[in-house]
Formats: sequence, C-alpha cells, structure tokens
Amino acid sequence: MTDMPMSNPVSGATKGTLMQPDARTRRRNAAEKRFRIYGATAIGIAVLALVVLLFTIFRDGSGAFRQTYLAIPVELNAQVLDPKGNRDPGEMSKVLTLGYGKVLDAAVEATVARENIQIEGLTEAEIKGLISKDASAQVRSRVLADPELVGQTIEVDVLANGRVDGYFKGRVTLASAERDNNTSPQQLMLADELRDRGLMVTRFNWHFLSNPDASDQRPEAAGVGVAILGSLYMMLVVLFLAVPIGVAASIYLEEFAPKNRWTDVIEVNISNLAAVPSIVFGILGLAAFINFAGLPQSAPIVGGLVLTLMTLPTIIISTRAALKAVPPSIRDAALGVGASKMQSVFHHVLPLAMPGILTGTIIGLAQALGETAPLLLIGMVAFVKNFPASPPEGLFDPASALPVQIYNWTQRSDPAFIERASGAIIVLLIFLFCMNLLAIYLRRKFERRW
Amino acid sequence: MYDMNRVENAVSQTDIKIAARGVQVYYGDKHALKDVDVDILDKTVTAFIGPSGCGKSTFLRCINRMNDTIPIARVEGKIALDGEDIYDRRVDPVQLRAKIGMVFQKPNPFPKSIYDNVAYGPRIHGLSRNRAELDEIVEKALRGAALWNEVKDRLQEPGTGLSGGQQQRLCIARAVATAPEVLLMDEPCSALDPIATGQVEELIDQLREQFSVVIVTHSMQQAARVSQKTAFFHLGNLVEYGETDDIFTKPQDSRTEAYISGRIG
Repeated sequence: MTDMPMSNPVSGATKGTLMQPDARTRRRNAAEKRFRIYGATAIGIAVLALVVLLFTIFRDGSGAFRQTYLAIPVELNAQVLDPKGNRDPGEMSKVLTLGYGKVLDAAVEATVARENIQIEGLTEAEIKGLISKDASAQVRSRVLADPELVGQTIEVDVLANGRVDGYFKGRVTLASAERDNNTSPQQLMLADELRDRGLMVTRFNWHFLSNPDASDQRPEAAGVGVAILGSLYMMLVVLFLAVPIGVAASIYLEEFAPKNRWTDVIEVNISNLAAVPSIVFGILGLAAFINFAGLPQSAPIVGGLVLTLMTLPTIIISTRAALKAVPPSIRDAALGVGASKMQSVFHHVLPLAMPGILTGTIIGLAQALGETAPLLLIGMVAFVKNFPASPPEGLFDPASALPVQIYNWTQRSDPAFIERASGAIIVLLIFLFCMNLLAIYLRRKFERRW
Repeated sequence: MYDMNRVENAVSQTDIKIAARGVQVYYGDKHALKDVDVDILDKTVTAFIGPSGCGKSTFLRCINRMNDTIPIARVEGKIALDGEDIYDRRVDPVQLRAKIGMVFQKPNPFPKSIYDNVAYGPRIHGLSRNRAELDEIVEKALRGAALWNEVKDRLQEPGTGLSGGQQQRLCIARAVATAPEVLLMDEPCSALDPIATGQVEELIDQLREQFSVVIVTHSMQQAARVSQKTAFFHLGNLVEYGETDDIFTKPQDSRTEAYISGRIG
C-alpha cells in the first residue's frame, strides 16, 4: 500500500493501522487484564478459605457423630439396686449412680474374665475405667423406667470412655496414652481385644443430637440436644416478635408515615441500631429483661427478646428496601382505580415485596441463630443438663444455645470436647445452610415479573 | 353501579362535567400551575397540550386528586365534578377515583392475570354480586377497550405478558370496568408504537360516547386527531382553550401559534 498523506479530522490522534493496537489501547487493555486477574485472585482466595474452613471443621467434627459402645450383659443385683425388695420406683430412686457403678464395674470385670483376655500389667481400675462415667446414669434411668428388670441380667450398650473412643477415632495413640493419667496402653490394648471380639463397636451417634451437655469428665456423653432446643425456642420468640413488629414498622414508615424530621430521625436511628455491636444488646437485655423485668437467667425467652432487638433493624431495613423496589406505577395503578392506600399496599405492593421481605427475614433469623456474644451476658453460657419443658412454659426454663454451646466446649480442657465443638459447628452450619436454601426457594417461588 | 339518572340530569342541565376555577398547584416552593379556569364538557375528548413541564399532567392529576399522594404538593382553588367541589373536606379521594378513572403514561398492569387486572376495581367497589356478574363486567370492559377478541382465550394468563399496546388497552379496560364518569389519560400512547397508538386513538373515540375523556399528549397530531376541545398550557398557565379545530387553525395567542408551529416546546 502506498502511504498517502491524509488530513486528520481529530487533532492529536495519529494515523495508524488497525492491525496493531496503539500505545493507549495497549495500556487500557493491560489495565483491564490486571483488573480481571485481581478479581479472579480475590475469588480464588475466598473459595480457598471456605474450603479450608469446611475441611478442618468436617475433619475435626465428623468424629462427634460416631461413638464407641461396649455391649455387655449386666446382672442387675437386687441387693444393691432394691434393698427393700418391693420394686417401688420411689424407693429405688434413692439408690444413686454410685450403686449402679458397682453393678457395672462387676459386669465389665466379668466380661473381661469370661472372654479370657490376658494383658500384662492391666489393673482393675483400668478395666473399670473402660466404660464412661455416664454409663451408670444410663443404666439407672433404664431401670427406674422399668423396675421389673431388677434381678435380671440385661444386655446393655454402654458408652465407652472418651479416651477409648478417641483411640478408635485416632485421637489417642498408645504413645500418648503412656503420658496420660486417664488411660494407659494396657487399657487401650484391652479395648482392641474387645473390638476384635465384636463387643466394642464404633457406630453412628444419634445421641450427639439428642443428649444434653455433660460434665468435663465425660465428653463421650455430651450432646447438643438442649442447645438445639434452646436455639429453636429463641428462634420461635424472634419469629413471633421480630417479624410482625419489623414488617409492620417498615410498612408504616415506608408507605404511610409522613416524611418529616421525626421520621428522618427514626430512620437514621434504625440504621444506627443495625450497626450496634451485638454484645451491647446483651448488656441491654441483662439490664432490662433480667435486672429490671425480673425474667429468669439463661431462659430462651430472654435470649429471644435480646435477639429480637438485634434482628429488628435488619428486618426493617431489608423490608423497606423490598418495599422501595416495588415500582411506584403499581401504587398509582391501584390508587387510580379507586383502591384505598391500605388496599394498594396489601393487595399489590406487599405481594410484590414478599420475596425481598422473606429473604431479609430469613437472613435476619440466620444471623440471630449464630449470635453468641449477647447470650453470654444473659447467662445462657450456664451448664444446663435438663431439657426445657415444651413452650410456652419451657421458654422460661434454663437452656443453652448452639453457638454458646460451641463456645462453652472450646473452653474445656479435654481434647474430646474439641471434636464435640466441631460437631456442633457442623450442626449449626447445616441449620444455617437450610435456612439460606429456604430463603432462595421462597425468593424463587414468590418472584414475579412486572 | 354509578347513578345513570344523576349523570343524565347533569347533562340535561348543562354539558359541563368538570368546572375548574382558580386552580393553583405548588410543589414545595415551585408554583407549578397558575390560576387555571377551565370547563370540561361531558362526552367530549379534551386534549391538554404544551411543552414539557408546562403543568398539563399536574392539572390532570388534580382532577382525580392523585396529587394528594405527593407529600409536598399543595392544591388551591376549586374543581367541581357535576357541581360538587372535589376538594371539599367531606370528599373521600378514594370514592372520587372510582368515578374518575385514570390511564397512565407507561402501561402498568398489575402482575396478576388479565382477568384479575380488570376485575380488581369492580371487586373492591363491590360492583358485582356474584361471579357471573363479574365475568360480565370483565367481558364488557375488555370489549370496551377493544381487547376482548385478543385475550378471551387466555384470561388467566398474566397481564404483564401482553405486548405494550395490549397492556395499555388492558389498563384502559381496567379503568373502564369501574364505570367511571370521566377518564383521565396521561400521555397514554407515548410508550407505544404507531400501530398500537392508532388502536388506542380509535378506542378513545369510541369511549367518548360513554363519558368525558381528558387526554394529555405531547403529540399535536394526536390532539388534532382525537380531541374536540384543546387546552394549551405553557409555564404553568392555561394559555388558550377552545375548539380543537380553532386552536390548530387560528390560534388567538402568539405562544400557542409558536408552539403548534414548532417554534417553542
């Protein structure tokens, strides 16, 4: 091609070929490329963090869903368990777990003797220590429920000691047992023998979901039952208080309230409340509900009230955003055919805002479900062994909550509780995951085009 | 149902359906409409024309008190419907809007079925005693809006699924279903293509037989085609009001002449 000199209409721009990008274009393309790399890296880091988090939690926590049991025949000695011999549950309840402990000790020793297991240096205490300290309570409650069992020999699956359980899950080794006051290599070898004979099995542990918390000495018996129930009760309180109050407040503020200085002040304060650290709500709950109103400590009603206060701003803000997103033309259309303000809101605006309201509400509830700090201040961190009654009375009974239970377990010295804590985290994550799924489902279901 | 006798009496006494006297509208500090006097006749199409921001839509929204929904708007003066001041304290705007229907600039059907769109007004005003009566009202309204033949087989489908022109006619059907005495239309064709516009204009001409139609339009051709009376607004003033033919052929005011000849606006 001949290079013809041409007049350039745009001053400053130089004539060039399209086959090669000029310097400016190259710089812009490079900037765009860099930005894409930043973005992809950011997402990569986030995904990696999530994978690592989930991996460690599942690695540490999956053990909580498996538990080792020892199947042994127990002779329920009538002399020990029912000294008066009248099978009266009232009388029998005077025999404490100590008495059942003796019966169980005898049963374990008898089993070891019958199976003819010989291990050098195995002491009597190590044989007795094979089973959980909670086992006697297990057998006692079974006997009290059915007094006729006394005098018979029954087959029971008792919980194995936490160390023995840990041995089968790989947490405890023969080497670590050497240095451990609570177990010994001999005890673990005995456990191996019993497993080979099919008496000791590790299987899925439903009791982790149904048992209450257990003391420091018996991690193998600890479960999240009370915590799940406590969390559920609190969610009920939040659902029945925060949702109606929040949605009604947002509808009023967004659709009916006059726009003046007062509503501006209210609006700003709602936004501020959403940013208040949750522990402050805990102090408020302690002062207002427990010290002033005299509600009981550790009760789900107080937890629910505190979480309601905490969730309200979230629900109000998301509901107002959902209402704002409804096009004004729909309101005009309704008013234009002679609908009243209330009819236009309830017949047209609210159904259209529903997906947003539901999503916001569920996200608010999920946030409340995972909240820990305010609950610590109102005493929900207490050790609660008894299940609360069914609502409404149960709302005033002491209970725990899932996140607090996790916090509680991480404070304990026995490493078996780390496994429990991770297990509880898995339970909590599953609940949160289900709530988010529900939010997505409801959004899809109610979403309508306009 | 609306009172046929009263309408007929009113017509027999006078053809004036709506009489506005000294109407002033303020949006906050802005004086949007200045001292407007106008008489709108029954069974007539009246067009409001004028450049953007001249107050024509504002005045239209005064007639069914839609300005009440704007917190900063303030209306002064009198607007009488059949001799009754609609800004009287005893008047409930909700009841008023059942008598004065409105069609908006952008088609805004409810995200409900075609049937429910039309049936909504009659339902909330209790115009039907049973389903059969409601069916009849819906069919009549859809026929009135020249939409029946296109949608009669898919009444349960969403109104938002129709084309733009059909949606606007659905909105007209929705307004007609409550048996209004006046129909206000705020640039009803500005979002429509020429064919849909033609259909709506034809419809407006038919609707005139039943009630008074007031239409705000940007298109002078449209005003000339559909209306019998035309009002020209400029900077919040009603500059000229008269027979459409007169306005377009021998305007009295220089501003009107400038506008219709395309020199302002």
